[in-house]
Amino acid sequence: MHMGHEGVRMFPSTSLSLGAEARSTPLDDLENVVAMYQPRVFRFLLATLRDRDAAETLTQETFLRAWSARASFREDCSLATWLIRIALNLARDHTRTGRFRFWKRVSASAVDVADVAAFVPTRDGSAEAQLIAQQQVAGIWESVARLSSRQRSIFLLRFLEEMEIPEIAAVTGLPLGTVKSHLYRALAVVRAQHNTRGATPRNPTPRRAARRDATTKETQ
Amino acid sequence: MTPQLRTQPGLADSAPGKSHLTGEQFGELMAGSTESAGGELAPAEAHLMVCEQCAAELASLREAICVFREASNAYADEELRRRPRWVLPERRSTSLSLVPAYWVAAAAMFLTALFPLQVLRRHSAQPQATAVVASSTPTSSAQSDEALLEDVNSEISATVPTSMQALADPSDDETAANSETSVPTSNQRKD
Repeated sequence: MHMGHEGVRMFPSTSLSLGAEARSTPLDDLENVVAMYQPRVFRFLLATLRDRDAAETLTQETFLRAWSARASFREDCSLATWLIRIALNLARDHTRTGRFRFWKRVSASAVDVADVAAFVPTRDGSAEAQLIAQQQVAGIWESVARLSSRQRSIFLLRFLEEMEIPEIAAVTGLPLGTVKSHLYRALAVVRAQHNTRGATPRNPTPRRAARRDATTKETQ
Repeated sequence: MTPQLRTQPGLADSAPGKSHLTGEQFGELMAGSTESAGGELAPAEAHLMVCEQCAAELASLREAICVFREASNAYADEELRRRPRWVLPERRSTSLSLVPAYWVAAAAMFLTALFPLQVLRRHSAQPQATAVVASSTPTSSAQSDEALLEDVNSEISATVPTSMQALADPSDDETAANSETSVPTSNQRKD
């Protein structure tokens, strides 16, 4: 089902129908929309599905669906929110199928945590700090995998896409309270896993304590 | 005034006699819910000022999630860069002024498709005409047969056949003259 990444992608020209041209929409300029939002949609789908080819296929599908349904875009939310909503629905449909579970096991394009951890930003520069950061990424990555589908989506929307809770509610179509509830549960799982790994020292290091003190003084 | 904090089960064991942030408060602080920042979060934030353990835990988890976000985004961006760019079809202007042009193009295509059909129909009309001729030939032959039969009937029904009319009335002069001229010939033969 997944498209290979060889060759040049051709966006289906059949989508250029004349039916929905009565009202101009932001999606009329498809090239700009793709250039602007493709990385974001792909990032979200890659983190959700953890499969490179599936993420790209569904990213294409997201823009195709958005283009086809552009007449129904009423601009009551941002275009990014609308696109992420489509992507989320596609990902949900995709992960429901047994075929997805099969391909997830055998797919060569599945994302390995080591691949992601290799992209840890180098702020400190020391090898130890780099290693700790990689462990942190691996820990969060594994924790997120244990979340339920809905909790994972909401967690990723909040902490990967940095969406506000009302925006997440708009994307998922859930009430604010439900979104918060799922988010807190997801955080509880991630936090527990984080503490189990010993990432949080019971006694804060002097450096952290000093930083916190400095922050406290600044706020006072 | 001391903030009212509920005891979190996990941390209460490790720090007896001291209350810590609840899971919900921790979640609210992590999520940074803006709407509740003014009211419900105030006691939690005040607690962070006095509880090093909760503050460290919160900072550690925030840092881990931040690193996770940066690494995930960098990985996804790099993965996207590796993949070939999509080729989008050129945007066509579909304003209303071009609608007649579409109709003209559609009509031209229709006529183009119709022309071979007309040629085909012409070609197929010729064999049909031959067939009409072929089918009309038996009709005409039947008519001629009918006429022939009628002639035969009239010949048969006549009292004296046309070919025997000369013998029917011997007193006729013309007939006699003809017979005289013919008789000597026969006499000469006898001689």
